[in-house]
Amino acid sequence: MAQTKKACIVGGGTSKFGVRQATIFDMLQEAANAMSKDIPGLRPKDIDGLIFASTTAGRNSNSLNTAPIVAHRLGIYPSSICVRVDTLCSGSNTAIILATGLIESGISEVVLVTGTEKLNLPQRWESTFMNLYTNDHDWDSAMGLAVPPPFFGMIAQAHMKKYGTTKEQMGAVAVTNYAYGFNNTNAQFGGKTLSLDEYLAARSVCDPFGLNDCCPVTDGASAVIIASEERAKAMTNRPLVYIRGTGQVATHGMSAGWPGETLADWPHLKKAADIAYKAAQLTPKDIDVAQTHDCFTISEIIEVEELGFCKKGEGGAFVASGQIKVDGQTPTNTDGGLLAVGHPYGATGARQAVEICKQLQGRALNQVKNAKFGMTHNLSGVCAQHTVVIYGTEPVK
Amino acid sequence: MAELKITQIVGNPHLDGKYIAEMDMWPLEDPALNRIYPFYDNMKQGRWTTIKCKKCGRISYPPGVACPNCWSDELEWIDLPKTAKVVGMTETLAGAPTGFDSPLIIAWLGFDKAHPLKHLLVRIINCQAGQLKIGDEVKFVTFEVAAHPMDVKKESKVCERVYYAFEPVKK
Repeated sequence: MAQTKKACIVGGGTSKFGVRQATIFDMLQEAANAMSKDIPGLRPKDIDGLIFASTTAGRNSNSLNTAPIVAHRLGIYPSSICVRVDTLCSGSNTAIILATGLIESGISEVVLVTGTEKLNLPQRWESTFMNLYTNDHDWDSAMGLAVPPPFFGMIAQAHMKKYGTTKEQMGAVAVTNYAYGFNNTNAQFGGKTLSLDEYLAARSVCDPFGLNDCCPVTDGASAVIIASEERAKAMTNRPLVYIRGTGQVATHGMSAGWPGETLADWPHLKKAADIAYKAAQLTPKDIDVAQTHDCFTISEIIEVEELGFCKKGEGGAFVASGQIKVDGQTPTNTDGGLLAVGHPYGATGARQAVEICKQLQGRALNQVKNAKFGMTHNLSGVCAQHTVVIYGTEPVK
Repeated sequence: MAELKITQIVGNPHLDGKYIAEMDMWPLEDPALNRIYPFYDNMKQGRWTTIKCKKCGRISYPPGVACPNCWSDELEWIDLPKTAKVVGMTETLAGAPTGFDSPLIIAWLGFDKAHPLKHLLVRIINCQAGQLKIGDEVKFVTFEVAAHPMDVKKESKVCERVYYAFEPVKK
């Protein structure tokens, strides 16, 4: 079907990420406030669609069918769509794909994509316990799999064994992303530095991970505006940033369905990327800046491989040689990523989108020179699903 | 003015002693609550079973009531071989989720070529921390887990449950 309209990201903002003394609705209002500063002149009445991303709103914040509540608190009256999506760690990236489809088809004109999670609960045990509900509950979770470090630890072991990846190479991801996040005042670890020696000396979480291999437990919210090209032009004087291509691949929800030969191989990510590249009419070498899902250091190493930024198995050398730094081949996680900013599941995708929007408009804190094409990527849960969105300063012809 | 009376109320006193399905970490195994109960009944006999499709021959795990390959509901229960090799493993020495003891040992299993499964994530029990090694052989083992109440008309019955993990094969 021929697309009749083009979808753009206009701008956005986030709340402060961290261990927050705030409810999801407090943080969503903070994100909306930040977004209103990023898009001067934007008013609630401009918005006709709301896609709200949160996995734990129903459980941790006792709010089922949350989207109408969010609409009320943000003073918007959705007339084309008002819905909550749950794809765990890719929630608001999924919402951006949905918003793009709604805009390209003409159903919506201006969609607010907003996501949040309140993961730190009054008692610490519940924050871990609730993660039992994010896997296939009756099968993998009944094995005690709750928070993801044990699973990704085994992924790291497999990558180290098969491809010779080292702890120092994993450390390069942590050190780079903490450095990127240093100036990010909304990051959980903003203002914090990390040296390779400190990384190597950090307390063990589970083999082979130390504390800085893992993203923290984070509360936060983010918000972006996805609009038709015409409406975007009317809303901003900045260069337009188009959504060029998207891909989302899910292969399994439970470990018995793992699609790779080993845990070090993520064919479902490669497939999601290939679909997005094809739609965007781009190749990996065209991507000037990427926000990939660095829930763990090893995740970013495998992602730069499967996304095609380097050859399979060479992710460790790629990150350690500085190719993810701002002057490297593919600057990655330039706002600090999940490792430094934190990861409130449903808020992460839109947070990444805000950073790519700023990069392609030439106004990011860690600006990549002449960035024209950018990418966001999330994985969900224990690597059950991959979501890729590609942006550009020009639309697909 | 009457003196303010302060009582200590922790949590929600109305929930005292009540079972909350939302907080349950195990499957609801009673035949009144699911349609794959033969899996749990077989597990109570020490058997590890799943479904095989009579139409297309696909063996699926976890079991269900329709074949994920062709959606046929003509299925039969088969026994799965109960041994596997440890391909990857991780030990959580402290901070296992509530309800699971530390050290919590989780393993990524590999199976013989003849086995219907290729991979599986499991918990390893009956094993000390530091004892399990990659390449070790492990076997299916069952254990009792917490029962839960269920309303049946005006009465309440207790639903007893088992679950499974793997344990090291003694050398």
